[in-house]
Amino acid sequence: MSDLHIASVTKHFGETSVLKGVTLDVKDGEFISLVGPSGCGKSTLLRIIAGLETPTSGTIAIGGAEVTQLRAADRNLSMVFQSYALYPHLTVAENIAVPLQMRQMTALQRLPVLGGILPGARTHKDDIAQAVRHAAEMLEIAALLDRKPGQLSGGQRQRVALGRALVRDPAAFLLDEPLSNLDAKLRVQTRAEIAELHRRLKATFIYVTHDQVEAMTMSDRIAVMMGGEILQCAAPDVIYEDPDDIRVAEFIGSPKINVLPLERNGSALMLFDQVLNSHLSTESPKVMQMGLRPEALQLTQSKPHLTGRVVHLENLGSEVFAQVALDSNGSRVTLRAMPAQRHRLGLGAQVGLSFDLSAAIIFDAGGARLRHVEGAVTCAPEVA
Amino acid sequence: MVVLESSVAADVTKPKTDNRPARAGWGLVAPALALMVLILLIPIIVAGVLSFTNYSLGNAGFDWIGLKNYERLFTRSTYEKMFVATFTYVVTVVPISVGLGLGAALLVHSLGRIGDIYKTIYFLPVMATLLAMAIAWEFMLHPTIGMVNRTLEMACGTWFEVIPFFAGGCADGFPLWLGDRDYAIWVVCFIGIWQGFGFNMVLFLAGLTSVHRELYHAAEMDGARSGWERFWLVTWPALGPTTVFVVTISCIRAFQVFDTIEAFWPQGGGPNKSAYVMMFAIFEKGIQQNLIGIGSAITMLFLLFVMFLTLIQRWLVERKVHY
Repeated sequence: MSDLHIASVTKHFGETSVLKGVTLDVKDGEFISLVGPSGCGKSTLLRIIAGLETPTSGTIAIGGAEVTQLRAADRNLSMVFQSYALYPHLTVAENIAVPLQMRQMTALQRLPVLGGILPGARTHKDDIAQAVRHAAEMLEIAALLDRKPGQLSGGQRQRVALGRALVRDPAAFLLDEPLSNLDAKLRVQTRAEIAELHRRLKATFIYVTHDQVEAMTMSDRIAVMMGGEILQCAAPDVIYEDPDDIRVAEFIGSPKINVLPLERNGSALMLFDQVLNSHLSTESPKVMQMGLRPEALQLTQSKPHLTGRVVHLENLGSEVFAQVALDSNGSRVTLRAMPAQRHRLGLGAQVGLSFDLSAAIIFDAGGARLRHVEGAVTCAPEVA
Repeated sequence: MVVLESSVAADVTKPKTDNRPARAGWGLVAPALALMVLILLIPIIVAGVLSFTNYSLGNAGFDWIGLKNYERLFTRSTYEKMFVATFTYVVTVVPISVGLGLGAALLVHSLGRIGDIYKTIYFLPVMATLLAMAIAWEFMLHPTIGMVNRTLEMACGTWFEVIPFFAGGCADGFPLWLGDRDYAIWVVCFIGIWQGFGFNMVLFLAGLTSVHRELYHAAEMDGARSGWERFWLVTWPALGPTTVFVVTISCIRAFQVFDTIEAFWPQGGGPNKSAYVMMFAIFEKGIQQNLIGIGSAITMLFLLFVMFLTLIQRWLVERKVHY
């Protein structure tokens, strides 16, 4: 096991540029998620790390050794595929044994009948059987070892694919959306199991997903990818609370962050003709955007910042999400409320919303974070 | 199943037993059943019955001669030659045309656009009429003016003469091919392979498209470095059902070889009956010589072989190649 270093990797397929210079360092034993919408290049990046694609430029190093020109079979990495890619003609035990057989036995020793009588084949076979049993027990699939993949359920296949990956001791595990073919309940369960497996193995995991919940719940760090670039790579709470880019803020978090337009008028920060703060540096941009998480909005009756009408309600039991169409410009914001406040949130009810400006995340018109503006407005709180 | 359920429902509504749904079921099956009996089973039974007689077409009656026709099949040297020629053809053509078909399919599959051109070229002999092709081959294989021997003669006087075949050919003349009993059946085999492997290639190509691409990537990650290892781990098992089908079809087609032989030697199945295959024997005995009895006996034997192959295929398909 070792650390992984990806340096300015680009990938072009003909005219289209899929990766535009990705740099990422993964520490030994780290669980890192590559998350982003479909087509953002996350799977391509994983396949480049695996060696199944060659990058157009840039380098990959594993444990200090450059492997960019090395083929996948020689990189000592394990991969779990989205479709699991189990060999349909082999039993579960044989499937899990394949990586060991391919690496530890010669082509002659692998021959069906003749291989068994060759010197050394017996001990290899016993060692492999032992390793397979160990992996199967770890994943609780020991009872399935004699079945073919066609006789297994989706969740069981997924475990077999994991077993095949962890039966040997790879430098890193690469997982390409391994949970996307499971039903919702199983997904939550397997999520916890994979996270636990990571803690137990203390191995490097690189996990590709489009599901931000998976990324948030399992990872040490999340790399949010969009348009072939890593927008931000940080711990889940940092990504959620302190995003560098409005696209990161919008992608992470469910329901989505609310974005409202801000304006600077002289040194005053304006939201829909309302002065939020008047200590702004005149060097700040004229047009800005403010991100507010649903939980940052509160229902209020006195001096609301925003007023609107409830247009949609989602009651999740422990919390209520209400969509409010703003009176100012008709756009919708999502509010998280406690079930106790439900009586105030009837469909069509007129509500007032307030927020603490320190919870607001401010971006410029292009979407880049404006930390100095936030600093200025929170140091001198003067919410109107 | 449906019939069964509806009959139960009918029993519930009407206490009196009424087998109308069952009759309706039989009524629906009847046309197919009648056709099957009429055009498949009855002719086979008739052929089976006639194989125990000395019937000739046009005769008012026939005599039962028991197993005499079959006895002849297994004692006369003509029929021994028939079996030798047929099995030589099947045993040669099936493995080679399946192997070549698979090889060509793998190569064509690995190509991009150019693959389509190869596909078309290899498939041409399949589309062409074998009878017409046989005539073209007859010209090419003509001992003196044929293209094949002319080309071989060009090697005379060069280092090719080191090879005994060329040395002999340059000294005493190249083989007569179709007129030589040592070569005749092999020429037929060659044409059978040439004509048949394109078809097998197309079947294998169809099989190859169903191999999941991620399996190759998984094999690569698992340490399968060579193409050969990936072939054994992924391609070959995935092609199992296709292979069984291709082998069976090739076998049946090989047993049915007829038109080449009819075109080359309309009067007798090759020099010294060296290419006297079963189909030709059936045609010669049953139709040309109007010996329906013996013709039927060969037909029954032919049917037995094909049936046997089909059963093996069913057994293999159900047990081994579907996962």
